[in-house]
Amino acid sequence: MISQSLTLTWRSLVPLKNSPGQLLAMLIQPVFMIVIFVYLFGGAAGGDRAEAVQYMLPGVLVQVALMATIGTGMNLATDIGNGVFDRFRTMPIARMAPLAGRILADLCTMTVTLAMAVLVGYLVGFRVTTSPLEALAGLGLVLLFTMALSWASAWIGVIAKSVTAMQGISTAVLLPLTFGSSAFIPATDLPGWLTAWMSVNPVSHLAAALRGFTVGGLDAADVWITLGWTAALLAVFVPLALRAYNRRVR
Amino acid sequence: MDYAIEAEGLVKRYGDKAALDGVDLGARAGTVLGVLGPNGAGKTTAVRILATLQRPDAGRARVHGHDVAERPAEVRKLIGLTGQYASVDEKLTGVQNLMMMGRLLGMNRSSARARATELLERFGLTEAGGRAASGYSGGMRRRLDLAVSLVSRPSVLFLDEPTTGLDPHARSELWEVVRELVADEVTVLLTTQYLEEADQLADDILLIDSGRVAASGTPDQLKAMAGGHRLDIRPLRAEDEEKAMAILGSGELSIPIHDLAMAPAVLRKLDEAGIVLAEHALRLPSLDDVFLTLTGARA
Repeated sequence: MISQSLTLTWRSLVPLKNSPGQLLAMLIQPVFMIVIFVYLFGGAAGGDRAEAVQYMLPGVLVQVALMATIGTGMNLATDIGNGVFDRFRTMPIARMAPLAGRILADLCTMTVTLAMAVLVGYLVGFRVTTSPLEALAGLGLVLLFTMALSWASAWIGVIAKSVTAMQGISTAVLLPLTFGSSAFIPATDLPGWLTAWMSVNPVSHLAAALRGFTVGGLDAADVWITLGWTAALLAVFVPLALRAYNRRVR
Repeated sequence: MDYAIEAEGLVKRYGDKAALDGVDLGARAGTVLGVLGPNGAGKTTAVRILATLQRPDAGRARVHGHDVAERPAEVRKLIGLTGQYASVDEKLTGVQNLMMMGRLLGMNRSSARARATELLERFGLTEAGGRAASGYSGGMRRRLDLAVSLVSRPSVLFLDEPTTGLDPHARSELWEVVRELVADEVTVLLTTQYLEEADQLADDILLIDSGRVAASGTPDQLKAMAGGHRLDIRPLRAEDEEKAMAILGSGELSIPIHDLAMAPAVLRKLDEAGIVLAEHALRLPSLDDVFLTLTGARA
């Protein structure tokens, strides 16, 4: 099953080599995100820009990673729509391999994208003030949570009637999760209901953990809450996605 | 007789509409079974059930004795499927598509590559093998699709409308490949809307319409079901056509011949009326006639 998953991971990564344009588009996205958030919003907040960068960059990294999970479901919906998965399903291979292969591939591209985002972050003045090891731990946590969320995206991708529907549903779910969190702004001076939502939102804890790992002030609770959500997402969405995939009728 | 594919009483419903309403079929090992029917007749549903993609609501089906619903893993080791919509990975090259299948089936890198090279050559794709499949023509894509489903050397192959949308040249190329497969003892179940295709390739034909079997048999048996011989004529002068139809007592320039002595008598009558014929032919009905007689539908 592992070698089948890896073959399918390879399958999903090869097109990036075949068409470098797609790879470039993927790498440029975080650049825009950083420019928009740091210069546009960071400037509008009126505070010190160097301070804004230190607060916002971890938030932007989380945002970039989470929005990219939509791609997992969209790619799956595309594969199902054009019949590639029908062939896999008539072959003597593990049922999990096509889904796991896609998610692993997306994790690989995500790693590259995050590295790119950190690099751009450095160019605009972001500095890791902890240790490189801690920073890597923070990025690892982001990848772990992203991988779990990818299974939710995979589930939606399998049950969605079309690629467009998949994109619509995922965006509707992800926008309140990412923007309705303390990823970009601290939860102070906001209406009470919003503060309440932000404090339960797992993305707030993930962003806070990454911030702690990179610029200091880590609260272990944020890490544990994020790991808890990761486990919960996996426990719910891995079986759901596999079941939906096995039953999927085009 | 040794059947590679057999099914009894297959039923599949979508909501209250029955896509299959009790279909029996059997494909003898090493032959081509043509499943012929208009759009929406249930052909694709039947293939999807036999290829383990869907479970039937009722009925049983077996591939080389393995029940498709109970033992899908066994069935999957024996079958190949080429769908109505070519399901190659467009972003991969021809070689990559074939190698991916080989690797998934547990071949090591070098044997997967060898198999890919062999199949590309066999399907005339060697030159195109390094290009992404998205740039292939319709015929090339279908050939690659077929090649991909042959990587595992299946003993049973399902071809779901393999030539729909192909030009005549690409179609006859694909027919040639199917004939070669059968020569290699592969059992083929082929669905098609084209009567000519079934006539050309199939050893046995199953005619289905609205989820039911309308007729089955060899192409010749089916043709015999549509009635006996027909006489077709074509007057040399177009203005004679109506007069000729009046003599035939028919609304078209063709009549059924129930007694073979009748044909010369009809031709004599036309001659006496001064109608010169450019063409006349006594023929057995075509599968078209069978199709129209049995389904009342246009192919």
